[in-house]
Amino acid sequence: MSIQVLVFYLFGTILTLSALSVITVRNPVYAALFLVLAFFSSAAIWMLLEVEFLAITLVLVYVGAVMVLFLFVVMMLDVNLSRLREGFARYLPVGILVALVMAGELLLVIWTKGAEKLPLPPGNPEGFSNTTYLGERLYTEYLFPFEIAAVILLVAIVAAITLTHRGRSEGGRYQDPARQVQVTRDERVRIVSMPAVKDKENGA
Amino acid sequence: MLADYFPILVFLGISVALGAILVVVGSVLGPKRPGDDKMSPYECGFEAFEDARMKFDVRYYLVAILFIIFDLEIAFLFPWAVVLESIGWTGFWAMMVFLGILVVGFIYEWKKGALEW
Amino acid sequence: MTASDLFIALPELFILVMACLIMLIDLYLPENRRGMVSFISVLTLLFAGIMVMRWQAVDSSTAQYAFNGTFVRDRMADVLKVFCFIVLGAVFVYAKHYLRVFKLMCGEYYVLSLFLLLGAMVLISAASLLTVYLGLELISLSSYALVALNRDDRRGAEAAMKYFILGSLASGLLLYGMSMLYGVTGSLSLSDIAASVAIAGDNVMLVFALVFVVVGIAFKLGAVPFHMWVPDVYHGAPAAVTMLIGSVPKLAAFAMAIRLLDNGLVPMQGDWMAMLTVLAALSIIVGNLVAIAQTNLKRMLAYSTISHMGFLLLGVLAGTAQGYSAAMFYAITYAIMSTGAFAVLIMLSKSGIEAENLDDYKGLNQRNPLLAALMLMLMFSMAGIPVFVGFFAKWLVIQAILDVGLLWLAVVAVVFSVIGSFYYLRVVKLMYFDEPETTDKVTAPADFRFVLTVNGVAQLLMGIFANALIALCVASF
Repeated sequence: MSIQVLVFYLFGTILTLSALSVITVRNPVYAALFLVLAFFSSAAIWMLLEVEFLAITLVLVYVGAVMVLFLFVVMMLDVNLSRLREGFARYLPVGILVALVMAGELLLVIWTKGAEKLPLPPGNPEGFSNTTYLGERLYTEYLFPFEIAAVILLVAIVAAITLTHRGRSEGGRYQDPARQVQVTRDERVRIVSMPAVKDKENGA
Repeated sequence: MLADYFPILVFLGISVALGAILVVVGSVLGPKRPGDDKMSPYECGFEAFEDARMKFDVRYYLVAILFIIFDLEIAFLFPWAVVLESIGWTGFWAMMVFLGILVVGFIYEWKKGALEW
Repeated sequence: MTASDLFIALPELFILVMACLIMLIDLYLPENRRGMVSFISVLTLLFAGIMVMRWQAVDSSTAQYAFNGTFVRDRMADVLKVFCFIVLGAVFVYAKHYLRVFKLMCGEYYVLSLFLLLGAMVLISAASLLTVYLGLELISLSSYALVALNRDDRRGAEAAMKYFILGSLASGLLLYGMSMLYGVTGSLSLSDIAASVAIAGDNVMLVFALVFVVVGIAFKLGAVPFHMWVPDVYHGAPAAVTMLIGSVPKLAAFAMAIRLLDNGLVPMQGDWMAMLTVLAALSIIVGNLVAIAQTNLKRMLAYSTISHMGFLLLGVLAGTAQGYSAAMFYAITYAIMSTGAFAVLIMLSKSGIEAENLDDYKGLNQRNPLLAALMLMLMFSMAGIPVFVGFFAKWLVIQAILDVGLLWLAVVAVVFSVIGSFYYLRVVKLMYFDEPETTDKVTAPADFRFVLTVNGVAQLLMGIFANALIALCVASF
């Protein structure tokens, strides 16, 4: 067994275990952290496939951005854990039954059809760069899906704003940086000329 | 190719091992004498009067989501920048259209006041 | 990419540009001019329709590929797109009234609907797994947001949440199946996949891939047992959004089934035929039976959708050109019928209260005879009563499965559609034989009434002149 296979199994095990932990641990913060670990291990596995760019993107986008948002939500939100777990025991038997049936069907299919190994894809040539390869395909060959991806991002912007943005609440106090910058001396300081008055009573 | 990453693997291994050792050593050798006062949450010296978790203004999440969307957009720029010379004008305009679509989204979000706090 | 690629996808580009423009126009329109957005949207659809019909591909009987084989324009795509425009145009007219009455008037409804339409068009014209998935996601994302459009409504938010979670699960399953397909065949193009699958033969990975793909399709259609989201979403979403979800996405889901199962996995027809048989039979049985127990019109129509999707699957599972054209005819007529039914619901709704209880329809004939007559035609058509177009739709799919020798399935379909006609006729009975509870006048703007009248009468006319549309569908395959 080459070191590559060994590393694959190492990260594969971490990935599976952490994914399992995501759905079994009680504390949602731990669950989110396990999800980070799962993303990280899959990035490592992608690295083994020599798709460096995608692996880095996975870490940057999912671990760096999406999971931070997740953590933010679960840490800040007032989640009532006991209410979340209500009915867990009630649905457990049904869930186990469904899982068993699914597993049985899986085994049945594999058993009747036999799992044959798929041929390995040819390895990458020397000096192969995943980023270059992606770039050369994405913006020419897959131009149409690429632009549709932009539209999906646009819809995400519109949806997020439509659903959450309420504008400024009435009567709230807000800063207006533009006005703050334009402020002149006259608006802030008023010089009042006062006649000098001798303090007679005390001086006397 | 993959061999280039071997030092990183070693680095990962050492850092995980080091982290684990420090935690284990600390918990094995450190004295543990827990008491009621020690275990209770500490809030500036007086009794804790509310849970750390509370309802949060949904606008925080809006900002975070908008950040993620534009983060993704940036991720698409990297391979484009690397191969810009070989993909020609088609590739160049592909990215311009992509950015154009997102600029529409940016105008929308600006005009709607989603960027204002 | 060449100029001809752009020309082939011109309607899509037009919709994209117009959706962005409408979004910007809406930003700068004063509050009282919002109706403009609706008007421009309908005009957009009109022009897009003209584009599809006038600038046909050189020879529309052969498929034309664009963008390195990720996009295809063929007869089926053109016909489905034109009907998407027609249905969505009607939806826009109805929605304008609804959004005004419910004080939800915002450009976002139109913008998101147009993006949903764009997703549907991409999906209809998909020739690669990538475009199938992206089109589907575009539809889904827009509809999740639309369902929660009325964000002060807890029911809407709950429905959107359920829809989102179950929908992303289904998308994940579909994506998993697609990744396996790609793993086995090494290609994203549907025609290449069909070729490799034919060579690969019996492969366990392919079977798994197929299962996941079928589950994804069944979820998007709302076929039993993947129907759980349908009643909640139909019930919880604002009626204008429910109407939208019942129209264009159904046409797109039909196209997705054809693209994936026929264009991509036709060598595995035996396998998916069996799966679809189960889905279709269950949908027809469960949909019709549960609909009887509903007292809420929106939920009733949701279960009726489930049974209609079962009928649609009958045509797909036949796996013949005849079956596909029957299913396509079914999808088109269903979209028109359900839009009309929701329009009646909207017209009866008053500010803040949707007329979703069956009791709201009591004595409608005395309050507004024309509206009652239109609803009667829509209900008869849904029930599949002869002369109305819904009858021909059912007739064609049943004929298609009889031709492939599935007699028992045809019997099930007929028996349960007879049972199902009970709840449609109950609405008719309430309208004509019960006393009204209120004497409020039912009013709507002139354009609303005009489109609704056309929509209702179309049930009859399309039934009498069904041959034209049938010929169009037959020519698509």
